[in-house]
Amino acid sequence: MRDFLSTKSAKILIATLAVILVVAILGATGNPWVSSAFGFITNGLSSVTANLTDGDKDYETLKAENEKLKQDIADLRTQLVDYYDVKSENSRLWKYYKLKKSNPDYEILPASVIRRDTNEAFYSFTIDAGSTSGISVQDPVITENGVIGFVNSVNATSSKVTTILSPDLQAGAVDKKTGESGIVTGSAALSDENKTAFTKIDANAKVKKGDIIVTSGIGGVYPSDLILGKVTDIRYDDYDAAKYAVIKPFEDIKAVTDVVVLTDFKNKGEIKKGAD
Amino acid sequence: MERRYTVFRYFAYSLELLLLFILQTTPRLLPELFGSKPLLLLPAAITISLLESELPAMFFGMAAGLLLDFGYSDNIGFFTITLTLSCFFIGLIFRDYLVISFFNATVFLFMFCTSLLILYFMFSYVFVGKADVFYYFSHHYISRIIYTFVCGLLLYFLNKFLYKNLRDT
Repeated sequence: MRDFLSTKSAKILIATLAVILVVAILGATGNPWVSSAFGFITNGLSSVTANLTDGDKDYETLKAENEKLKQDIADLRTQLVDYYDVKSENSRLWKYYKLKKSNPDYEILPASVIRRDTNEAFYSFTIDAGSTSGISVQDPVITENGVIGFVNSVNATSSKVTTILSPDLQAGAVDKKTGESGIVTGSAALSDENKTAFTKIDANAKVKKGDIIVTSGIGGVYPSDLILGKVTDIRYDDYDAAKYAVIKPFEDIKAVTDVVVLTDFKNKGEIKKGAD
Repeated sequence: MERRYTVFRYFAYSLELLLLFILQTTPRLLPELFGSKPLLLLPAAITISLLESELPAMFFGMAAGLLLDFGYSDNIGFFTITLTLSCFFIGLIFRDYLVISFFNATVFLFMFCTSLLILYFMFSYVFVGKADVFYYFSHHYISRIIYTFVCGLLLYFLNKFLYKNLRDT
């Protein structure tokens, strides 16, 4: 052992491990330069590659669409070459304009998914906007179809999003039809089916299939009336027989590519009366 | 000039790690197997360390670990430390005690892919008290370990090819 420790290789190993540990401790204690420096490199790569696989379309669909576009280009020779890009972008921004118009208190920031984590269970992802764009931890992440999740961590140019399918997300929710309240949170089994659960509801609750579940606004993390999903089933917990409703979000969380971060809204951070 | 091929080989390894990082993190680029994707950088670092001596093995292990850790958490953590250590000792063992063969590579790949992924699972899910850990392990993690291991066998052949053809005699 002593012989091994006196070798040059062992000394280099020990020195390298010491450096790694120091940087790891700095990173774990929230030192921003560590994450920002590496985030700058890895996010640059991811931003480029994410664009290559944007959208849910398979090869055949893309091929057919490509043929059609070629034909269109021939017919519309006089049009601008980026006509379709502009149209698509316009349509995307129009949806968010409508969202902003109906909720003037929302400060919205459109962002794109640049990376999905291979080693995480609940389909978390990274978006291409960070603290320099005004995003902070716990900001809600939504699309026009409802809540996607919340910002889990932020660095200068990117943010990690925990999805609505994760047990780490707990949102105060209310059944829009019956007015009954509870907590929406994920589980491993339901996340596989792109579903989550409406829990902590009363045993006599009248929640039914087809009911729409929205955020309650209690807790100040999410504004009220953001759509969480539709009830698809009523079940009872295996352990304590507590009643819960299975909810299917209107967005495919596993495939979402464009989102909006709500950086500010009315009553943000304010805990309403009746919050847990 | 004497180490020209070695420099090319190290450059090829670095490029390989970057490409695998892109493959691993880009949405929809790799097919899922039972809801899981492989951690390509893990077997890549192990197969490089089978072929190289301990110090280059350690540095490539550290590079792969950094990419794995920053791929999600933006912090140096589990994979940087474990891969730096594991690759150093694999490099040392294969330099001094074992010959490089497909059988030995298979055994080491399986051993390290399985143990490191299970250890990661314990730290990330079991010890922090997450719910449904058994479900997640049986439905996602076993397939992830097997998928990672199988990809590792392909990476072994790729890295062996690089090692044989980019070597200073």
